[in-house]
Amino acid sequence: MAETSDPDRPADLGRLPRDLGVGIAILAFCAVAYVITLGFDEAPAALAQNVQPATFPRMVIGVITAMTLLMMALGLGQPSRRKALPALMVPVTGAMMLGFVLAFDTLGAFEAMVLFALVMPVLWGARNPVALIGFALLFPFAVYLVFVGALGLFFEPGVVFDVRKGLF
Amino acid sequence: MDPFLTALSSFADPYLLMVVLIGTLGGVLVGAMPGLSSTMATALLLPFTLTMEPIPAIALLSALYCAGTFGGSITAILVNAPGAPPAAATAFDGYPLAQKGFAGKALGLAAVSSVVGGIFSVLVLLVAAPLLSRVAYNFGPPEYFALALFGLSMLATISGESALKNLIGGALGVLLATVGMDFTTGVDRFTFGMWELSEGIHFIPVMIGLFAGAEFMKQAGKLDMKKMRVAMDAMLLPSMAEIKRCGGTIARSCGIGSFIGLLPAEGGTVAAMIGYNEAKRWAKDKSGFGKGDIRGIAGPEAANNAATGAAMVPTLALGIPGSATTAIILGALVVHGLRPGPHLFTEQPTLLYSIFLAMLLANVAFGIFGFIGAKLFARITLIPVEYLWPAVFILACIGSYALEQAVLDVWIMVAAGLIGFLLMRYGFSPAPIIMGLILGELVESSLKQSLIIFDHDWTMFLERPIVVTFLALTLLSVSLPLIGTALRSVRPVRQTS
Repeated sequence: MAETSDPDRPADLGRLPRDLGVGIAILAFCAVAYVITLGFDEAPAALAQNVQPATFPRMVIGVITAMTLLMMALGLGQPSRRKALPALMVPVTGAMMLGFVLAFDTLGAFEAMVLFALVMPVLWGARNPVALIGFALLFPFAVYLVFVGALGLFFEPGVVFDVRKGLF
Repeated sequence: MDPFLTALSSFADPYLLMVVLIGTLGGVLVGAMPGLSSTMATALLLPFTLTMEPIPAIALLSALYCAGTFGGSITAILVNAPGAPPAAATAFDGYPLAQKGFAGKALGLAAVSSVVGGIFSVLVLLVAAPLLSRVAYNFGPPEYFALALFGLSMLATISGESALKNLIGGALGVLLATVGMDFTTGVDRFTFGMWELSEGIHFIPVMIGLFAGAEFMKQAGKLDMKKMRVAMDAMLLPSMAEIKRCGGTIARSCGIGSFIGLLPAEGGTVAAMIGYNEAKRWAKDKSGFGKGDIRGIAGPEAANNAATGAAMVPTLALGIPGSATTAIILGALVVHGLRPGPHLFTEQPTLLYSIFLAMLLANVAFGIFGFIGAKLFARITLIPVEYLWPAVFILACIGSYALEQAVLDVWIMVAAGLIGFLLMRYGFSPAPIIMGLILGELVESSLKQSLIIFDHDWTMFLERPIVVTFLALTLLSVSLPLIGTALRSVRPVRQTS
């Protein structure tokens, strides 16, 4: 990752110790996971044989917590490296990934692929209309043909499915 | 008929031969593409093999695995962008040599070293896997628990920012493996009332997400980066003098790579780094390293390819993956209804020999493909990223869906991609999470069975010599890197004060 530094400023001034932030996030995750294990059903003693369903996950949570605390302790006295914010396209791409699955679930697999294959390259800077349209139509069609035609995969019909069925 | 001869005769079938050659060609191409590793390609290809017979399916994935390791060296040498992590060390001397106008020579040496390392590793696999399986045949749950623990502890030594982060990643993977119905009590855990999660989280969508999804996000931040390609006319075979100069390095790296590959969880990346360091350490004149020394190419290339076959040894003989890619091959075996472990050697000897032969063929074939088409393979970097990565992401989604035909798997893949990207940003590597996810079930089931056998007396673990050996090795592999990390952390504080 790209890092920035200010030469006029002491290295550790105003910065959190290394791994403190990520450590707190993992500890919070462990706390939530532990609370969830409290809700696990108890199994009858004869079935559980002294190892309840929550025992092993709690052991693992304990190990993660201990190692995270050690990681945070080792980071004390060392300032965290300042990370440059990711480029705007990173969160946009992340949102597009989520959008693709939403479209996959609602519009249908083929439609989602066509939309994604059209929008994503444009967002990433592709400008050639012929290449864009060719890619947006041919690539999803090839994928659909291989997975549905050759591998016998079944895609749940989406809302646009009937339209396409009509077209074909 | 002898299983070896049966396997050999199956290669007379043009279909199997073609499958292996396609896998090899695909492996070289994928390996050559920066960001697209053989691990990712194997994960993406797995859904395509679902309708295939087990032998061609596993042969295809194995061939892709072998060739992908070599393919990474092409772009490492020509573009200074390793196509795959195991080729990172090759760039140290490969790119400077290419810049001096000897790209063909650098690639030729990489190909020869890779072929030698790869063939050596298949021979190791051929000898070591049956031996190890014979030893493992008598393993009980306590031994498997200790072995799985040892496999997880080895995460401390694999590549990544810190040993501790690798171990935390591994433990997070183990926790992820507890999602679903508890197999002894039938109680749902972390399913949040979703019946689809009762069978647990399949590691394939998580793996595709962590490798392909996270890389897609990473590539989004690199759109303005331009790669400097070095021109190349043709790949050249190394001269006798060059082979003589590198002979010792290649031989040493074959040994190093095979040993590293045999260790659970280790893989080609670690082997290549050690191979490079040892090549430098043993050299009388070290001044050329980093400036285009041919031993700096031969060392890592022989080592990373020697690790490929060796990494299959624990995967096939014990059911403990030797690397991230072999973890997928392990998953493929399970998906195809096979049970990796010592029983595989008695139940499916023909399949095993077919895997050995496929890997042997792939190692020879990628050398030939490399010599014929290195210039062409290098052109794969010219595919515009604006089209390549969206295509990879679509394949990742469809591949995740194909496994169970469930949209939930696509959501899991995307979530793994987003979380994986964040974790990578903070120095966590995806491979330990996958290892933890795969080994998690084995750890829990073998621990529970052991506790029942021992009537919950933990001290009885120490009465079994193999368990004690593995536990001692676990302690050693965890403590050594942690002590190193602690010492490195203390030193700057002292210097500051």
